[in-house]
Amino acid sequence: MSNEDKIRELAERIYDLDAEVYAHLGSSLGRVYNSDRERCVSELMELMVTRSQANLIRSELSLIGNMARTIKDKDERRMVMTEYNRILQEVTSLPDSFASGDVINMELANLNAFNLKKRFSKDDHLIICISWTYGSGGVNIGFKLADKLKINFYDAEIFEAVLKRFEMEKDAMQDPTGYGVRPDGSLVDTPSDAFKPARHLTLRQHFKEFSRFHGLPKKDAVFFNESDLLCDMAKKEDFVILGRCGNVIMENNRIPHISIFITAPFEQRVKRTMEIHSEMTIKQAKQYLKKLDREKTHHYRFYTGRKWGNANNYDLCINSASYGIDGTVDFLYRMINARTKGDKTVPAADAADTAAADTAAKTPDTETAAKAEPAASPLEA
Amino acid sequence: MKKILAFLGSLGLMCLSSPISALAAEEEGAAAAAVPLWMCIPFAGLLLCIAILPLVKGEWWEKHQPHAVAAWSLVFVIPFAVLFGAGSALETVLECMINDYLTFIVLLFGLFCVAGNITMSGDLAGSPRVNVGLLALGTLLSSWIGTTGASMLMIRPVVKMNAWRKRKRQIVIFFIFLVSNIGGCLTPIGDPPLLMGFMRGVPFFWSLKLLPILIFNMVVLLSVFYVIDMHAYRQDIASGLKPDISKPGTEVKLRGVHNLIFLVMIVAAVILSGTLPSMPMFQDAQGNTLGIHIFGEVTLSWPAIIEIAIILLAAFLSFKTTDVEIRRENHFTWGAIQEVAVLFVGIFITMQPALMILEANGSRLGLTEPYQMFWAAGALSSFLDNTPTYLVFLTTAGSLGFTEGMVTALGTVPVKMLMAISCGAVFMGANTYIGNAPNFMVKSIADENGVRMPSFFGYILWSLSFLIPVFILDMLLFFL
Repeated sequence: MSNEDKIRELAERIYDLDAEVYAHLGSSLGRVYNSDRERCVSELMELMVTRSQANLIRSELSLIGNMARTIKDKDERRMVMTEYNRILQEVTSLPDSFASGDVINMELANLNAFNLKKRFSKDDHLIICISWTYGSGGVNIGFKLADKLKINFYDAEIFEAVLKRFEMEKDAMQDPTGYGVRPDGSLVDTPSDAFKPARHLTLRQHFKEFSRFHGLPKKDAVFFNESDLLCDMAKKEDFVILGRCGNVIMENNRIPHISIFITAPFEQRVKRTMEIHSEMTIKQAKQYLKKLDREKTHHYRFYTGRKWGNANNYDLCINSASYGIDGTVDFLYRMINARTKGDKTVPAADAADTAAADTAAKTPDTETAAKAEPAASPLEA
Repeated sequence: MKKILAFLGSLGLMCLSSPISALAAEEEGAAAAAVPLWMCIPFAGLLLCIAILPLVKGEWWEKHQPHAVAAWSLVFVIPFAVLFGAGSALETVLECMINDYLTFIVLLFGLFCVAGNITMSGDLAGSPRVNVGLLALGTLLSSWIGTTGASMLMIRPVVKMNAWRKRKRQIVIFFIFLVSNIGGCLTPIGDPPLLMGFMRGVPFFWSLKLLPILIFNMVVLLSVFYVIDMHAYRQDIASGLKPDISKPGTEVKLRGVHNLIFLVMIVAAVILSGTLPSMPMFQDAQGNTLGIHIFGEVTLSWPAIIEIAIILLAAFLSFKTTDVEIRRENHFTWGAIQEVAVLFVGIFITMQPALMILEANGSRLGLTEPYQMFWAAGALSSFLDNTPTYLVFLTTAGSLGFTEGMVTALGTVPVKMLMAISCGAVFMGANTYIGNAPNFMVKSIADENGVRMPSFFGYILWSLSFLIPVFILDMLLFFL
């Protein structure tokens, strides 16, 4: 058994022990490993491999021990504590180093869908997460790529689905999570409006919001729901998702995906912004872009703890000014197709062909999308 | 300059609580206490065990806590018996067990049982602003149902709402700061030292004068907490954790609400224990409180018996009338109360020499200013029982011959000085896990429910970093 297998087995046993203790106690006060199994196991493996963190894993184990000691049934407690002691011994006797000599981060590599040839199972779907800077043509590239791959393209649809989950009435559309749309259907001035606090809320409205969003700030509740939705969708279909910290959500939930960051030189983006918003002067366009970049940076950092646009966070970063919109789409399409030829995408695309009518319903019209790059929102980071 | 000197003086007073400095104090004092200072070694030893052994020999410590407590208690009792006679040693031990420990542990037990029978279920998610709200609510509640009552009542909902999070120790630490300690300053029900003051003639609602200080501390500490919790919350989100908010709308259900009646019963019992001793029917001709004579001068007073009976009855009724499923949901175990009961037997016995020395030397410490009283009462309350500490400094203040201020049974005490003593004794119980009874209970409950709490010294580091600066501000704003 390889080192990795051994560690995985140990991590799984720790997770199972926690689950077992929790089940025995029937408590509702929370457990040590409160995320899904796969994530917890991966985190535990990481802790065990990084031996400098060994004290952390022992401390987490001792929390399980604390809970286990309160199991009332003596036999059950003895069984659990025996397993606990065994695990503790094994954790203590782990070797000091697991260095392999390769720069590869297996965890990241396993999630990078460009490597899918090796490990893209039949159950995994093709998920492409595109982050983009405003004015780099990200929306059009994402849309055209989805069209070419015959998979779904999601942007504002995600937000609409979240609204449904919250059972929000139409009037609630005017509040901060407007995502570019006012109740009368007109566009908001800037995407940042979507995140401004609602004005003049009555006490009753405050309570209503508090209850609707489970005591969370509205934007956090929306983010959590979007995360849930994206993870659910990733189990069912192939798609391109624009922004919404999609790459980090996929990574955190151990869902194989391709993450792409599309940008272009600032001057080029200013030019394109002025083309989209013909009423803007060059000064206004520059200010507008700087403001959007600031907001996206803040939003991305808030929800992911990472720096937006930092190449380390993506599988691929593209300067769209070097290829143009269609060129970038072709480039990406060739890469995706080349790596999946004979295995994943082709059947998926074929399947999508057969369900063309359905896909067309979800995929926005190419021409409409190409007309103008819609107002960005920090969520689309 | 004056303020710096004052601060240094305060630090010096804090050092008085360490054996070496106290030894110096003893040598200087002409009429030093009859109890030698080395008798505080068992107390220091027990504290070190509580601090260090869980870290280095965790499992051994869990199994052998009672043995360690017994050993350190004997290390105090045997030399004490040799020096002062077996009768005196027995009387000292019985005095602290019957008059201090018994009512203390019964009150904790009652509140622990009753609060454990109230459960909150729902999908309100723990976020910084919800946590700030919960801590503020708990802090304000503390003065009306006691710091222990509020702690026991609020800790489980707080832990439950934050179950989805990984980085949550700061929530429990600030909970101890605010709910288990600082919040109890407004009424005699809040914290035992104030009840002692009430029994010595301080009006019941006088402590409401401390409201501005409480509000100031709440604002500062909750603001700091919000920043820290927000940082942890963002880290949790960034690592992919999220609460289950898939259902639209929030449902919060309280079960076992009828136990609030028993909670009121316990609060009433505490108030009675403070009011009954001054009633003629509970006093003999000399004004001593009547009760069952145990040994020497040790008597279990009738008011104490009444308090114990009411609390035990409340706990019994609470258990009888509550569905066992609620306790299961609350992960109700005896672990936390058991640990506190065992450790505090040792703490109560071994701290007797320190209290005796303090009583003998309290008036010789040269404390004449409110800020000095604040730090001295606070520093000692961080490690010793804050009730006798409060009493020692109240007595000292009363004997200074002031003519203006609050008239108490122990003399006239200037209002500012009384405020300083009250705040010092109540607030600084938060400095260590052993400073106030609910601190340890809250820690134990958190430990049992997946919250990784800091060690004894780790917790002191938190209080040094966040509480002491606030107390310095308190001194500058209110007690100089």
